[in-house]
Amino acid sequence: MKRLLAALAAVVLLAPAPAGAAPAREKWDTRVFAHVQAPGYPAYVFSHRNGRVYAGTYTDPQGDRRRSRVFEWSRGGALLRSWTVPGQDLSQDRGVQVANADARGRLVLLEKSTATVRTLDVRTGRFRTWATLPDLPTCAPGTTGPDCSPNAVDYPAIPNYATWGPGGALYVSDYGQAVIWKLPRGSVQPRVWFASAQLDGSEFGTAGLVYRPGRRDLLITQQSTATDGSVPTDGKLYRLPIRRSGRPGPLSTLWTSSPGDLPDGFGIARSGHVYVANAGLSNQLVELGADGHEIARFPAVPGTGENGSAIPFDTPSSATFLGTRVLVANQSFFGDTSHHAVLDVAVRERARAPYLPSNAFWR
Amino acid sequence: MTSSPFSRRTLLGGAALGGLAVGTGTLTGLDSAAASLQGALPRHVDVVVVGGGISGLVAARRVARQGRRVLLVEARHRVGGRVLNHRLREGATIESGGAFIGPTQTHIAALARELGVPTFKEYNTGNSVYISSTTGRMEYAGTVPPDPTILPDAARLLQEIDSYAAEIPVDAPWTHPRAAEWDQMTLGEYIRRNAVNADGVENLIRCWTQPGFGADPSELSFLYVLWYVACSGNEKNLGTFSRNSDTENGAQERRFVGGSQLIPLRLAEQLGDIVALAAPVHRIEQKDHHAVVHTGRGTVTAKRVIVAAPPPLVLDIDWFPKLPARRFELLRHLDMGQLMKCDAVYERPFWREAGLNGFGISDSGAVRAAFDNSPAPGDPGVLLAFVGGSTWRRYGVQTRAKRRRAVLEGFAAMFGEQALHPVDYVEHDWTHEVWTRGGPVANYAPGTMVQLGSAIRRPFGRVHWAGTETSTYWTGYMDGAVRSGQRAAVEVLERL
Repeated sequence: MKRLLAALAAVVLLAPAPAGAAPAREKWDTRVFAHVQAPGYPAYVFSHRNGRVYAGTYTDPQGDRRRSRVFEWSRGGALLRSWTVPGQDLSQDRGVQVANADARGRLVLLEKSTATVRTLDVRTGRFRTWATLPDLPTCAPGTTGPDCSPNAVDYPAIPNYATWGPGGALYVSDYGQAVIWKLPRGSVQPRVWFASAQLDGSEFGTAGLVYRPGRRDLLITQQSTATDGSVPTDGKLYRLPIRRSGRPGPLSTLWTSSPGDLPDGFGIARSGHVYVANAGLSNQLVELGADGHEIARFPAVPGTGENGSAIPFDTPSSATFLGTRVLVANQSFFGDTSHHAVLDVAVRERARAPYLPSNAFWR
Repeated sequence: MTSSPFSRRTLLGGAALGGLAVGTGTLTGLDSAAASLQGALPRHVDVVVVGGGISGLVAARRVARQGRRVLLVEARHRVGGRVLNHRLREGATIESGGAFIGPTQTHIAALARELGVPTFKEYNTGNSVYISSTTGRMEYAGTVPPDPTILPDAARLLQEIDSYAAEIPVDAPWTHPRAAEWDQMTLGEYIRRNAVNADGVENLIRCWTQPGFGADPSELSFLYVLWYVACSGNEKNLGTFSRNSDTENGAQERRFVGGSQLIPLRLAEQLGDIVALAAPVHRIEQKDHHAVVHTGRGTVTAKRVIVAAPPPLVLDIDWFPKLPARRFELLRHLDMGQLMKCDAVYERPFWREAGLNGFGISDSGAVRAAFDNSPAPGDPGVLLAFVGGSTWRRYGVQTRAKRRRAVLEGFAAMFGEQALHPVDYVEHDWTHEVWTRGGPVANYAPGTMVQLGSAIRRPFGRVHWAGTETSTYWTGYMDGAVRSGQRAAVEVLERL
C-alpha cells in the first residue's frame, strides 16, 4: 500500500497542468502527421492499442534499393524508433505492411518479397516469420479451386491486409491471386478460405480487409474487377459473411467506385461509416454509409489531391482511425519522395474498435 | 541575393548555439541541491537514469509519471548537462551552454511552455559584418557576405547539400545508397573536390562548423554532416542547411528569458528527491533479473537503466558484462567537439546604435562568428564569440589574458573600438568540463557512421540509451535531448 501511495503521489505531483482545449478541427481538415523516411512509399498505417502509430515502407516502382523499414511514432507524430526488416528476398520487389497487432501486442507484418506473415515485438526488436503464402497455380478456366488462383494472369502471392476474425483466425487479402487466406488460430499453415474471379483485378487486386464482429462479415476493397462483367476500372467494396460453420457466405457488392478510383485501405467509424482511400487517379477519400451509399468525397474535386495541407493526397492508400481523425498513408506511387508521408485528416467521429480476440496470437 | 539558398547568418554559427552556455558565474536554482535527494540512495528502484541533462530529466519524468520508481543520478552538483546559465555581475543572465531555439524544435518548445519559460527573439535588426583577409571589412544586409570570390561556390554547394540531405533517412543515414561513399570523405574533402575557390569556401564554412560542431570541415564525415542537416527539421518539415544555420526562421531564432537552464532546473524541481546529485556512476552490472548501478553515493538495483550521458563518458563506466563490441567501437569514434564561449559585457549594446545587429563573421582571428548575446531587455549589451575547432586549438590554449585580448580585438574589428573596453568578460571552455569533455556535440569521424552507426540506439540488455546524440531530429540540440529522453522512456516502460 505504501508503494501504491507513493506511486500515486508521484503521478499527482508530476502530472502536467491541464492545457487549454485545442479548438475542434473542421471535418476534412488535413495536416501532415509525419514524413516517412526512405525507403518511403508507405502503403498502410497501423494504430496500436499501445497509443503509438506504425507504418512500413513499401515497394519503389523504380526498383527497391534498400531493405524495408518499420517506423514507430507517438500519437502526436514524433518519430520514436525504427527497425530494418530482416530476411527479405533482395532479388524481388519488397515492402512491408504493418497490418495489425496480435493479442500480445506484437505487430503483424506482411512482407512482400517472401509473401510471409511475420511479427515484430517492439519491446525486443525481434522479428519472427510465422507463415508463407503459397504461389498458387492459375485455376482451370471457369473454376475457382481448390488451391488455385482464379486470376486470369498468374501472379505470385502478395499479402496486402490482415484482420482478426472469429476464433482468433487471421484473414489475409492477396493482391495478386484473387483469394482470401485464413490462418486458423495459432496456425502457421495458411489455406485458401475464399477464392473468386470477382477478386481478380489483373494488376490491381484485393486490398482492404476488415472484420465486423457485429455483422459477422468481412468488408473487402477491390481495386478493379477484370472478370465480373462490370467496367474493369471500377473498384468495389464487397461484403463477405462468415458463416457459423466458418465457411464464407455469398459475396455481395456494397459500393462501386468511379472509374480509376482504385479503392484501397479503409477505416470504419462507430457510426458504421466507412472511410476509403482512393489510391487511383481521383486521389480522394470517400465516405460511405454502412450500406455502401456514397456520402462525401474529399477533396470534392478529384485529381490533384489538394487537401489544404502542405502535402496533397498522392496515391492515398489507406485510412486508419486514430481518435477522431484518420491517418492516411500517402504512397506517392510515382516517386515524389517529399510526398511520402502520413497525413492526418479530421473526420469528427470515432473508430469502431478493431476486433482483437484474446487468443489472437502465435505461440 | 534573395534567391540565394541561405539567408542572413546562414554561414555562421549556428548549430552550436543550440547547445552550450558557458559560465563561471553563479548558478541558479538546483545548484545548491536543495531540492534533490539528500542522504542515502534507495536500494531498489524500477529505473535508474544516469545523467541529469535535459534528456535524462525528461526520461525520468516520463517514467515517474507512469507510477514507476525512478532514481536519476547525476555526477555534477547541478543539473542541466550542456545547458548552463551564467549570472552576470550586472544581475542579468546569459547562457554558457545551449541557448537557442528555432522553428521545428517543437519538443523543447512544448516543454518550455509547460514549465513557464518564455522565449524572446534574438536581436536581428540592422547590418551584419563580414571581415575578409583579402577584401577587408564590409557591412551587409541580407543573406550572405557579398564576397564575389566565394558566393557562387557556396550557393551551389549548399544547394547540393540540401538536396542530398533531403534523401537521408534521419533514423538510419547509413542505409542511403551512397552512404559508404559519403562517409569515406570529410566535409572538407567534399568542398575541395567541388568548389573552384575551395580554400575560400572551406574557410567560410568553418564559421559554421566551429560553433556548430566544435570542429573543422576536415574533421567531419560528410555523411554525418548531411545527416545533421537532415536532422534540422521535424516529421513535418525536411531539414535544411538554412534552418540549421540561420537566425530568422532558423535554429538561432530565439532564446529563453532567464536562460535555458531554467528548463532542467524546473524539471528537477518537479522531480524532487528523484534526483541525486554528486553521484557519478562508476560501474554498471547486469544480472539475470536486474541491473546494479554503482555510484559515488551508493549502489542501486533496478530493472532497467537509461544512460543519458555524453558518449565518451560512457566508456569511463566499468561495464559488466562488457559493452558490445560495436557499441564500444562506436563510442571510441564519437569525439566531443572542442568549443568555448567568450562573452564581453558592455553597459549597452553600442553596436545597435550604429545600425549593426551584433552578428559578424571573419575568416581569421579568435572571433570567427559573433552574436549579440544581450539578455532580452538589451541591458547590458553582450557580444558572444564561439571559439571552436582549430580556432579553439589556437586560442583555447593561450592564457586567459591573451585570449581575452584576441577576442576583444576580434569584436573591435567588427563593431568598433568600443568593443575593446567591456565592463566584464566571461568565458567557458567546455573541454574543461570533466562530465562533458567538450561540446556542443559528439561528432562522427569519417568511416564511423556506416560501420557502427546502427548501434547508436540499440539497447544493451537492460540498458537503454538517451542523450541528444541518439535523437533522430535535432541531434546536438536541446530539442534532440527532449526527443531522446521521451524515446528511451517509451523503451523502458514497455519492458517493465
